[in-house]
Amino acid sequence: MSVHSVFVAKERLKNLLISDRIQCTPDAADRLTKDLYLTVSKYMEINPDHFDIEITRNDIHIKYAGENK
Amino acid sequence: MGEVIVITSGKGGVGKTTTTANIGIGLSRLGKKVMVIDTDLGLRNLDVVLGLENRIVYNIVDVIEGSCRLKQALIKDKRFPELYLLPSAQTKDKTSISPEQMKKLIEDIRDDFDFILLDCPAGIEQGFQNAIAGADRAIVVTTPEVSAIRDADRIIGLLEASGIRKNELLINRLRIDMVKRGDMMSVEDVTEILAIDLLGVIPDDEQVVIATNQGEPVVGEDGMAGSSYMNICRRLLGEEIPIEDYMKPEGFLEKISSFFHRS
Repeated sequence: MSVHSVFVAKERLKNLLISDRIQCTPDAADRLTKDLYLTVSKYMEINPDHFDIEITRNDIHIKYAGENK
Repeated sequence: MGEVIVITSGKGGVGKTTTTANIGIGLSRLGKKVMVIDTDLGLRNLDVVLGLENRIVYNIVDVIEGSCRLKQALIKDKRFPELYLLPSAQTKDKTSISPEQMKKLIEDIRDDFDFILLDCPAGIEQGFQNAIAGADRAIVVTTPEVSAIRDADRIIGLLEASGIRKNELLINRLRIDMVKRGDMMSVEDVTEILAIDLLGVIPDDEQVVIATNQGEPVVGEDGMAGSSYMNICRRLLGEEIPIEDYMKPEGFLEKISSFFHRS
């Protein structure tokens, strides 16, 4: 196998927890990410590759411009 | 006044009962007076893991219904200094007890013990609500798998919503070889996702299966799981013991020693 399975596990888990925590489908979580991207991009120059959101039980963190990477 | 700890996980089969048994025995070996309560109504198992299945006369439902006194239902494990089991009922279901009754039972007994450990059933229904009703703190057991971690995350949310704030994580059945080759999530991977304090890590160890087959504990015995469980007990008593580093490369002496232990 070319990719270590642990990376697949972490990615799947991350998506599952986002939809569990905000109680929506993975698809809705995707749309939330897109909407947040569009909103932020109205006010600052951002690149989709450097934009990521992280949803915990208490907060939504927006990462951009490759920060925290 | 004793400390009441619920051992829970959401997902079944991750090692709640084995953990309850070994922490209970470990704490009693460290000189504490311990009561372990099986709250899984209808699927009684803690007695079997402890090797006490032949000594059950009354159970927790009998105590709550008033059909017997607590003392009649308690089983004293004679192998250890001060360890008592309150067994579950095999023929009743989860609705035979309410969270309020459970809370009252615990309030009635907590002055007589140093620790009361509650073995929680899988799931998030009434059995879970009963088990957490009287608890001060929780040990959330998970294995390094997507499904178990997902359920642990849900359980942590439910515990916090119920006002239980001291929740600690126990990662069970870590396969060191698989983590090293990138096929299992590491301790760091899991703790990054589940943002609660780590109480301990139990490496996958066939001694656990062998001991459980015989209704005996691993805690305090030679071997990785035995010493990890003992360290967890000491941490529960407030000792500062760092989490074992299972990822460090094997040193020369360990290699020689494991060579001679093979047979």
